[in-house]
Amino acid sequence: MPVLKGIDLDIHDNETLVILGPSGQGKTVFIKTLVRLIHPDSGSICYDGEELLTLSHKQLYRFNDRIAFVFQNSALLDFLSVQDNLQLYLLMHKAISPRDLQRRTLEALHFVGLDDDVLDKFPEELSGGMRKRVAIARAMVKRPQYLFYDEPTTGLDQTNAEKISELIKMLKKEISATSIIVTHDIKLMRDVADRVALLKDGLISFVGDRDEVSEQMLDFLYE
Amino acid sequence: MNKSQKFFVGLGDKTIAFFTNVYDMTYLLLQTIKALPRLWFYRRQLIEQIYIFSVKTLPIAAIIAVFIGLGATVQGTYQSSDLLSRAITVNVIFKSTILELCPIVLSLVLAGKLGASLAAEIGSMKISEQIEALETLSLDPVGFLVMPRVVAGLLMLPVITIFANFLAMFSSFFVSAVISEWISPQEFYSGLEMDFKTFEMYFGNLIKPAVYGLMIALVGSHFGLQTSGGARGVGESSTKAVVISAILIVIWDYYLGRLLL
Repeated sequence: MPVLKGIDLDIHDNETLVILGPSGQGKTVFIKTLVRLIHPDSGSICYDGEELLTLSHKQLYRFNDRIAFVFQNSALLDFLSVQDNLQLYLLMHKAISPRDLQRRTLEALHFVGLDDDVLDKFPEELSGGMRKRVAIARAMVKRPQYLFYDEPTTGLDQTNAEKISELIKMLKKEISATSIIVTHDIKLMRDVADRVALLKDGLISFVGDRDEVSEQMLDFLYE
Repeated sequence: MNKSQKFFVGLGDKTIAFFTNVYDMTYLLLQTIKALPRLWFYRRQLIEQIYIFSVKTLPIAAIIAVFIGLGATVQGTYQSSDLLSRAITVNVIFKSTILELCPIVLSLVLAGKLGASLAAEIGSMKISEQIEALETLSLDPVGFLVMPRVVAGLLMLPVITIFANFLAMFSSFFVSAVISEWISPQEFYSGLEMDFKTFEMYFGNLIKPAVYGLMIALVGSHFGLQTSGGARGVGESSTKAVVISAILIVIWDYYLGRLLL
């Protein structure tokens, strides 16, 4: 049974698009499909006119240099310290001096409001909110053109959720990336979205500015 | 569905699963070979795996080797002391230990230790989206996770086996020539030299362990990457990795002997 059925969606440069939908409607499938972590049965996904689905593996890895993905469970590599998690991409792909490497690591860490003493810790030693912040810092280190967030506030208390939504706004300003967020968190949508798409029964039922979304339109989230 | 139908459906499912696993493992091996030119790029991961496959397994290998040597000597001297000369008995103990006992027992134990932990590690990464995270960091999961483990297994199991064989023979010498004085050191040495074939040493110390090391790493990685579900899925993958590696090791043990000796 298909999860997504004929979605047609344009995402504009430098905007924050929030895709809102209830649980189990294919939000994660959708956002993972956008970066080809999941290969769709049919359709087309274009970035600046370049078709994603026909890219070879090599080309796909080059495309991945332009994106960063904040996973629902943070997905920090649990055998690496926070420092190694933050530096992994730069160490593996960029010819960067140790000094610049350290500078960019600390810059990202401080940006998300964490102190230097976190660097030597391992992911399991951090709280859920801290892990999420490290995941955002890892995304920031890449300086991507496109930023994807899968349920960034899920599982967090209200204070941490607010911090994350603040970070999403700050990060967008800092690196001017196009941000795509899937969530069922209405408050997050109200806080960060430029535009909103409503995902219902595998279809996009509405796309428009944040202010155009009325409370009645969101009733389907509670059904 | 009646009982016989259920039986045939179950049999069909198992057959399909078997061939799917064979296909997937072969494909993973090919992908690993394809990733080999990037070995330098993944050198940090390789060094870490070499450390795990060597230094961390040395204590277990040492204990097993010492007691294999002791056990084989006690059994060998008891069984053949009335039938064979002492030097020939030492030669039988030497060859059975080097060519068969040490490589296979060590590989089976390491299949349990390394294969299970490898499958569990990769499996838990799979279910917590860490493998997908690697892809979004432009890192090939096979290059980053599988290839260093396979290369480490291929290189380090022979090293561990040479070390274990040496220890096994030393313990054999110690119990037969020093403690019990059943044989003189000179006779023990001449027993080792008797009918010595260099190829057999390569076979027992390098070829067999290299094949088993590759199998342990490849099977563990394969079942790790196939993991789905939660903690239960990780447990199932570890169990499958150990069981399948052990079965493959004993099957290959027979065929390698048939093909190469």
